[in-house]
Amino acid sequence: MLWEPDSWGAGRCWVPNDKQSDKNPNKLRMTTNAQQAKSCPIPTRVLTLKDWSQLPDCYSQTPGGTLFSTTPGGTRIIYDRKFLLDCRNSPIARTPPCCLPQIPGVTVPALHPLGKLQELKEELEEEEEKDLADDSQFEMDI
Amino acid sequence: MNNKFDALKDDDSGDHDQDQGSQKDCEKEKNDNDEDNDQNIAKKIAVPGVGEHPLQYNYSFWYSRRTPGRPASTQSYESNIKQIGSFASVEQFWRFYSHMIRPGDLTGHSDFHLFKEGIKPMWEDDANKLGGKWIIRLRKGLASRCWENLILAMLGEQFMVGEEICGAVVSVRFQEDIISIWNKTASDQATITRIRDTLRRVLNLPPNTIMEYKTHTDSIKAWEDFHGLVNAVGGR
Repeated sequence: MLWEPDSWGAGRCWVPNDKQSDKNPNKLRMTTNAQQAKSCPIPTRVLTLKDWSQLPDCYSQTPGGTLFSTTPGGTRIIYDRKFLLDCRNSPIARTPPCCLPQIPGVTVPALHPLGKLQELKEELEEEEEKDLADDSQFEMDI
Repeated sequence: MNNKFDALKDDDSGDHDQDQGSQKDCEKEKNDNDEDNDQNIAKKIAVPGVGEHPLQYNYSFWYSRRTPGRPASTQSYESNIKQIGSFASVEQFWRFYSHMIRPGDLTGHSDFHLFKEGIKPMWEDDANKLGGKWIIRLRKGLASRCWENLILAMLGEQFMVGEEICGAVVSVRFQEDIISIWNKTASDQATITRIRDTLRRVLNLPPNTIMEYKTHTDSIKAWEDFHGLVNAVGGR
């Protein structure tokens, strides 16, 4: 079945494309004599997937890139990579989490983010030099 | 320490230690008393904030590190797994992730673990007992990008295997890095295949990268063989 404009470009006409419909055209044709508005088919693209792995990265149904769908196990919240990366720039996402444990070389407190990163880089470079021979216990605050 | 046991080295990423470290919890109330600390920490879970995008599951970041060169003995195993924090939304995830060093910049024998809330990143956890993991060995320089793509896929529910995913680990080692994704049921072929296919799709791995699936029970046996038999009380 195709959804297409009728030959006048007016109204909406459901035109079956199989031959059987010719037998009973009245039953299957619906036309309206509405305004002579231009209509054009909704652009669609059909993909046949043989496997979930072929699902394109950009597949989404709602603005913002979230796909709410029914999958085995029920409705799931699905986000694509692009959407997740876009969320990174929001102000809510930038403030440091409360209670972030301070682990030197691992977690970065946000007091002076660039300065601290620089400090950490220097520490890491020093550490790498003596890493192999380093005997000292790694101190962790527990 | 050489070659013959190299293949087993990464398996200590899931090793459990008596002392897991306290659970730092962002949701602690401000008027906590010391006495009810433990109870409050145990009961509180992360929730998405107003205006934030919820995740299908809550997750926790963990960190562990082992001082290389020290022999792992049953009593003083050096690995120390510490929880960094939990989150329930995309924004909360970024708040943690943006304040953590990228795996490529970690030193020594270190791991980041990102597991669903309630699942410890250890073989012995109920969710992992019958499970296994896909592991991917990477040459140096790739871990940061691959880890990020892996966890974004996991958080975004790209694997499509129901409840099977437990968590992901990135392990920084001497001459290579390893990323792995853990699932609950090692015997579920369909799940394992689908996870593998998703990994190929989302990670953009270099050609000829080898992916290997290991059950945790196999890893445990390999660990025990490598370190000698378990001691009399069954500990490590």
